[in-house]
Amino acid sequence: MNRGLLIKSLREVWIATMLFALALMVLEAIFAYVLPTFADQFSTFLLQLEFAQRMLQALLGTDIGDQIGPGVFSSMAWVHPAVLAIIAAHATILSTRVPVGEIDRGTIDVLLGLPVSRWGVYRCELVVFLASGLVVIGMGLAGNQLGALLLESKPPSAVQPLLVVVINLFCLYFAVGGLGWLVSSLSDRRGKAVAVVFTILVGSFLLNFLAQVWPLAEPVSFLSVLNYYQPMLILRDGGWPVIDMVVLTVLGVVLWVAGGLCFARRDICTV
Amino acid sequence: MSIIVTEQLTRRYGRRIGIEQVNLEVPEGVIFGFLGPNGAGKTTMIRVLLGFLRPSAGSARVFGLDCWRAGHRIKEDVGYLPGDLRLYPSMTGTDMLRIFGSVRRRDLLAPGRGMAELFVLDLTVAVRKMSRGMRQKLGLILALAHRPRLLILDEPTVSLDPLMRQHLMQQLQELASAGHTVFFSSHNLSEVDRLCDRVAIVRDGRIVANESLEALRAGAKREVTIRWARDVNPRDVNVPEILEIHHRQDRLWQGTLRGPVPVLVRWIHSQPIEDLAIGHPDLESLFRRYYQPEHSQE
Repeated sequence: MNRGLLIKSLREVWIATMLFALALMVLEAIFAYVLPTFADQFSTFLLQLEFAQRMLQALLGTDIGDQIGPGVFSSMAWVHPAVLAIIAAHATILSTRVPVGEIDRGTIDVLLGLPVSRWGVYRCELVVFLASGLVVIGMGLAGNQLGALLLESKPPSAVQPLLVVVINLFCLYFAVGGLGWLVSSLSDRRGKAVAVVFTILVGSFLLNFLAQVWPLAEPVSFLSVLNYYQPMLILRDGGWPVIDMVVLTVLGVVLWVAGGLCFARRDICTV
Repeated sequence: MSIIVTEQLTRRYGRRIGIEQVNLEVPEGVIFGFLGPNGAGKTTMIRVLLGFLRPSAGSARVFGLDCWRAGHRIKEDVGYLPGDLRLYPSMTGTDMLRIFGSVRRRDLLAPGRGMAELFVLDLTVAVRKMSRGMRQKLGLILALAHRPRLLILDEPTVSLDPLMRQHLMQQLQELASAGHTVFFSSHNLSEVDRLCDRVAIVRDGRIVANESLEALRAGAKREVTIRWARDVNPRDVNVPEILEIHHRQDRLWQGTLRGPVPVLVRWIHSQPIEDLAIGHPDLESLFRRYYQPEHSQE
């Protein structure tokens, strides 16, 4: 691993990473504080309205049953669209830095004018991506715990299931990054690459959402990456969603390797 | 030993030709001029040499290594200045020297600072606050700081003022005299004339001339002025074929020499002349002739 490349990448991403991490931390702290505070009122209200129940079920991506317990409310903090948007945006921004970001900016000539292989550059970007993702998701977990600590009347949530949730979230982050890298390696304009990734992610979100309320979408729901991220089941039932994690990780690895092969074989044109 | 060797090197962009069947050898320790009009294929050639583009046909080797497969190894001893230079906007010159030094695993800060003094560049300014000329200077420093065995410069004097151009020329001449090789792409004829030992001229992706500057100069036309010692009848003077007289006024004749000077001098030795003036070779018109589409290809 080339130290110079790592320093360069870290210098370029640390501000964005800290901003995303702080945003997620604040959001998680708010959710962890607000949702359990009003859990009783919410439960009564939601159980009376079938529509609201189905919407919540669609959001969580799984059947919530006839009881809306603390597990459901805790998991809402990890599937809220704002949380998913932060994770997806951070993964997309970082995974489209190289090669398409450098090509679009024109700096790839200087970068690849150095004695580094394309795979070397690509590997460094992966390391920085994973480290940044750990920081963002770790700060989210810290925010969640902070919000729970502020709730004096409620006992803090158990940390172990939450850790499983964030590991699952990290796998999701990696899968989104893999998609970003593949699209990045096939593109010449970063805006276009981000738009493609964004469209696929929105489609994935909608598919997962629709599968809960529209039976016709259910058979194809396995195509959505969010199908493999269901924190409610983890928080409610415990255990490790090993298959989901493996699917997301394998997807991320396959997409990342495919992106690397495309990058290593493609022509680099900036003019 | 040849530093750069290409054989039948071709690169196409779909139907459009970038470079076509280029055979080139660049010997070690020379300043090699690569001349051509805009869009002739100069940048394509450089991008193939650096492993940015894969050849469509033929081969390109630098230091004996294949440019596409071993690009990163080649670049350990290559300094490169792109034609359309873009640097990292948030970094200062010092940052870039540190990071590039770290990538190259050698200290670039000390030599970089020395060159920054020569080029009058403040290395503490962020790239986004630099003028185009300042960025060009920084790009040159980054390309030169590790004193590479091969320096590839794509139109390096763009945005430099005359004094800085002079400094750059001196640096390049010093490098070449120390055995380093410079591949100098340009469309500025006077620079190439002043600096280069050899020159290749590319047009429409093909090499139309590849010679030493001396050989090119010998082939270039020169203005000749002859002042006869007495009145002469043009019909009595057997002018050699290489001299074309286009103006006669009394004893003053003016013409164009299209051949070797010694042949003219031998002839003039037997003529009753009072004065003879032979101008510098007009490389500009020679290059212009090569640039023109109707010029036959080699």
